[in-house]
Amino acid sequence: MQTPVTIPVPVLRLPRGPDGFSRGFAPDGRRAPLRPEVPEIQECPIAQESLEFQEQRARAALRERYLRSLLAMVGRQVSFTLHEGVRVAAHFGATDLDVANFYVSQLQTPIGVQAEALLRCSDIISYTFKP
Amino acid sequence: MAMRQTPLTCSGHTRPVVDLAFSGITPYGYFLISACKDGKPMLRQGDTGDWIGTFLGHKGAVWGATLNKDATKAATAAADFTAKVWDAVSGDELMTLAHKHIVKTVDFTQDSNYLLTGGQDKLLRIYDLNKPEAEPKEISGHTSGIKKALWCSEDKQILSADDKTVRLWDHATMTEVKSLNFNMSVSSMEYIPEGEILVITYGRSIAFHSAVSLDPIKSFEAPATINSASLHPEKEFLVAGGEDFKLYKYDYNSGEELESYKGHFGPIHCVRFSPDGELYASGSEDGTLRLWQTVVGKTYGLWKCVLPEEIASENSDCIYPSAPDVKA
Repeated sequence: MQTPVTIPVPVLRLPRGPDGFSRGFAPDGRRAPLRPEVPEIQECPIAQESLEFQEQRARAALRERYLRSLLAMVGRQVSFTLHEGVRVAAHFGATDLDVANFYVSQLQTPIGVQAEALLRCSDIISYTFKP
Repeated sequence: MAMRQTPLTCSGHTRPVVDLAFSGITPYGYFLISACKDGKPMLRQGDTGDWIGTFLGHKGAVWGATLNKDATKAATAAADFTAKVWDAVSGDELMTLAHKHIVKTVDFTQDSNYLLTGGQDKLLRIYDLNKPEAEPKEISGHTSGIKKALWCSEDKQILSADDKTVRLWDHATMTEVKSLNFNMSVSSMEYIPEGEILVITYGRSIAFHSAVSLDPIKSFEAPATINSASLHPEKEFLVAGGEDFKLYKYDYNSGEELESYKGHFGPIHCVRFSPDGELYASGSEDGTLRLWQTVVGKTYGLWKCVLPEEIASENSDCIYPSAPDVKA
């Protein structure tokens, strides 16, 4: 009697295991914003944080996450969605101080591959990459 | 084309995995903690099984582990006669709670203010986590070692299981309200707040009782001795695993066995549905944790649904398991 042919469900990858040298809980992990901050100077612990201070901390945390995301992109293939429905892909190299331009290589455009290029961030609507 | 279940194996432990627990759903997803006889409980991302960190500090086998609802704290129960409370974000140990014998079970209240512990000294203890130096409140009455203790009815009551009994206690008065007797060893207990259902396993039976009255609702018999069972959040399915190394999936309403999965290389000690019901995790004597899809073939976590045309295509960015995990 023939058993029905089945195919195993595909997986993107296997679950990551321990790194083998640390106990984990990466300081820059997903839940980094939840970590209590270590005060640099002796502060009065009783003082209530002002709303402004809290906002500033949140902005700093978000900025740090964004900068780390840029670091994670270096050397990777990134897809950019530009104006007028144009999509291009390239290897991300670097950004400048104001994040006004992205330096990329092997830029795949509809008219060919550009070895090196500068993409103006004001032209970019969104970008995506797989870490 | 029918799809076959691909379990995801989470390695890392070096000895049997004896307990596991999921957190609630948090803005960062949900998390999974596993208790292992190697003394090193691990925290993993719940939907992928990716290792996040290992809680280091216990000096003996860890028998029980739990996370609070928002996965900011973890608690573990160990053979070194202590229960520990951990910061689940940094991995740091927050508290060590000394006991007089092996601790087997730990459970946080919904607000994470209290921790319930139970173990071989046959006492239930309630610790106020805001006053770690204070002595815990103790409830006595069990005549054999406590295997599992859980808060229920919005933390107003406590359910505890020892070898042959399951008891319901009132938190405020610290007195026993009701008890159930079994003539076989109780292997596991799970509490489902929505619907106040208690899932108890003993021998080959998987029994469902009201958590409020302890009255029986229904029970099923499995083909082998069952060590743990879990009810799906929407109460459509239940999964169970035990001594024959297999995982069984049943329709909760009809009791019909829907599927059975081979894969583990040792008895299954614990099985739990994720808080969103999309997957269930099993821990085994073989030292691994496996994640299984509730709906086989659905795109979720690391599993990716593929249409027949895509399978033949070379652009597919998925990998297939090299050897089928389903072995004779």
